[in-house]
Amino acid sequence: MESFPLTEPVLLILLSLAGQPRHGYSILKDVEKMSDGRVVLSTGTLYGALRRLLDGDWIERLDEKNSTRGRQAYRLTSRGRKNLQFEVGRLKHLTHLASLRAVTKEA
Amino acid sequence: MLTLYRFLLRFYPSAHQDCFSEEMAAVYRQAQMETAKKGLAAQIRFHFREVTGLLRGALQEHVLEFSMRRFAMRTEFRFPKSTAVLMMIILAGVVLAIEKGKAIQASLPAANPSIGPIQPAQHTFLPVIAMVFLFFYAAGLIGWAILFALRRSGTHRLAEIASEQQ
Repeated sequence: MESFPLTEPVLLILLSLAGQPRHGYSILKDVEKMSDGRVVLSTGTLYGALRRLLDGDWIERLDEKNSTRGRQAYRLTSRGRKNLQFEVGRLKHLTHLASLRAVTKEA
Repeated sequence: MLTLYRFLLRFYPSAHQDCFSEEMAAVYRQAQMETAKKGLAAQIRFHFREVTGLLRGALQEHVLEFSMRRFAMRTEFRFPKSTAVLMMIILAGVVLAIEKGKAIQASLPAANPSIGPIQPAQHTFLPVIAMVFLFFYAAGLIGWAILFALRRSGTHRLAEIASEQQ
């Protein structure tokens, strides 16, 4: 199960699923796009994170009529969304604090 | 490379393989096809990342599975978390009582003269236990002997024979 603070790959995976349900490959590409190519996940890293998120009930598999074992879609659960919001709030607070301190130092 | 990828997937625990291996191979194939357009350097980076990612992932999954198995408890042996708190309170109470007893003993040395260790000749508990055990063992043996004798003699069938004749 994931614990706070989230690692960057896990945070990006959750952000990728926040907008819409996605398949594994779509998550890979979206994570790469969101991070401007800085974070490129391997399938091993992606599915390790997905398994932990599934176990913790942060995400769930989407039951699609045409889905095969090779193409499964995932979406955030309400718990996952709540945890993502919590983490985003924490990061916002941290960023705000960091910017305040940085300004004070410069002044 | 897909064959190698599928081979490396076997390093994962079987539960993970059942759940994700097909999906992982499909995603890998898609990513490989796209990387093929980007040149040799990109392909080398991609394959290196995939192989190391798989090996690291497999190791992490095994560690996780081992720790889950190690600390998993059978359902019938599980107890609520409040039990641990209660047990700690009881333990604290016992330790406190022992300490209190020691303090009282130390404060009244005359009333509690030190005595030596109990000698085997002074044991009274074990002979009593042995006597009770022997008594019940003998009673059981006699009961079993009576039943065995009745069964061998066929006395218990007399009632059945009498009813058949009637």
